[in-house]
Amino acid sequence: MRDDHDSSERKALGLKREGLILGIESSCDETAAAVVRGGSEALSNVVASQMNLHANYGGVVPELASREHLRNVVPVVRAAVEQAGIRLEDVDAVAVTEGPGLAGALLVGLTYAKALSFGLGKPLIGVNHLEGHIHAVLMEARQRAEAPMELPLLALVVSGGHTHLYLAEQKSEGVWSYRNVGRTVDDAAGEAYDKVAKLLGLGYPGGPWIDTLARHGNPLAVPFRFAKIKPRPHREGVSLPNKKAPAKLEEGEESFDFSFSGIKTAVLRYIETHHMRESIDARRRALAEHPDWRPGSDEAAALCDAETLDLIASFQHAVVGNLLRQAFGAAERYGARGIVVSGGVAANSELRRRFQSEADKRGLPVAFPSLALSTDNAAMIAAAAWPKFVSGDFAPETLAATPQLRLGGS
Amino acid sequence: MKSFTREKRFRTRSVAGTLALGEKIGEILLPAPKLVVLRGEVGAGKTTLVKGIAAFLGAATEEDVTSPTFTLVHEYVGPKVRIYHLDLYRLETERELATLGIEEMIAEPDALVLVEWGERFESLVSRMDAEIAMEHGEGDERNMMVRWG
Repeated sequence: MRDDHDSSERKALGLKREGLILGIESSCDETAAAVVRGGSEALSNVVASQMNLHANYGGVVPELASREHLRNVVPVVRAAVEQAGIRLEDVDAVAVTEGPGLAGALLVGLTYAKALSFGLGKPLIGVNHLEGHIHAVLMEARQRAEAPMELPLLALVVSGGHTHLYLAEQKSEGVWSYRNVGRTVDDAAGEAYDKVAKLLGLGYPGGPWIDTLARHGNPLAVPFRFAKIKPRPHREGVSLPNKKAPAKLEEGEESFDFSFSGIKTAVLRYIETHHMRESIDARRRALAEHPDWRPGSDEAAALCDAETLDLIASFQHAVVGNLLRQAFGAAERYGARGIVVSGGVAANSELRRRFQSEADKRGLPVAFPSLALSTDNAAMIAAAAWPKFVSGDFAPETLAATPQLRLGGS
Repeated sequence: MKSFTREKRFRTRSVAGTLALGEKIGEILLPAPKLVVLRGEVGAGKTTLVKGIAAFLGAATEEDVTSPTFTLVHEYVGPKVRIYHLDLYRLETERELATLGIEEMIAEPDALVLVEWGERFESLVSRMDAEIAMEHGEGDERNMMVRWG
């Protein structure tokens, strides 16, 4: 037994010296590829919309089409390999997002990854996109050579398409396991940002606009409330749809779910009752005429009167406050030793400031990804694949795209 | 523009009321396959109504149905129907729409394809089987008109 253990450890150390994983991500809007060494060192991280072939569009969202992924996947992988300074044959495994995401988009990355894996004779590793977001933060912590955060971790993955809370632990042989302890029952937080920005005549994506304008307003001017969400019964094995059977809940059990649909409607209501339509239309026209007025510019701020700035500041204050209460509440309830926040909304400055301050108050460590790794990327896919590579958790040739893939049980 | 022979109006006063309407409207929309366009501004209750329909048809719980604005397509499989819940809010062109494969979805005999913001696309409007128009009333009130046939 002892010998077996030693040899597997020697093997793992050997792998660590090499351990080049090519990650491919195409679950939603972005085609991305990256090479990560040993789950901790990103040698390259290429995202199609940030490459020169899209420079003409100056930060505008890439076209939402699997055809675009198809066009991008080859140059993006090639760029990732080149920038890493390696040859394609050097990679030890190919990791790819298997879900959740759009079927046609996932299929492009998956098919290409399978072909590469087959052609190179290297194993294929399927990664859950949401798990990738969590590992973006862990990878960067390792890259900074920080002491690893104590487990379990409470992870908030918050973006345009997702708002999830996971309790993350590492089991034997380094395999990670996740428990979904909270999620949105309607809109994602990032979606609320985009829709409110659009309602107010601001640009897309809404996050940077609202984040920068919120600094000029009073966050307590408009009180937004979040409805208490009724706790859900344990999801596994729930028979559908017996609406008459009451959910069996323990006394005092709280829900860590989110709902951002109501605040979007509340903002619309506020706009109507305060007759803001005209000024919103004027702002929309002004921004259309001046595409160079970016979020955070003085010109953009000058387009908003005090009432609008107060509404924006109050909206952001309420959303961040809700994310904070649920995340820290869940961390306490489940005994998490640290918090990681990831996904596009993790780039929000008020969110970072308030999470950091609350974490300091509670003596809990909190970690965020760099801005480049907040939004969708492939380095996080390659990083999340590393523990699977070490434990030999490879995908079969039959690996299929799973648009509604979940992470962990509830 | 497609013309319909039948229509029915509904009014609800709460989110719970809109969810409960999933039963009545779900019955109108059966049998599958159907292509249904849901129209109405932000916050009109389109996703809420889909929650009600999916729960009534046993395809998903109300909590499981979330907004597909970013993810574009969600699929929920029930005993008799397969619900495709689409949101075209972020899409601009017919070319983008074409890559979602709505034809393949409708070709499935048990498909109920529910499309938010679908009225902006002629290719869908010309072939839809039903349309649900939703609007804000006073306070939490929502008015709906279902047209089909």
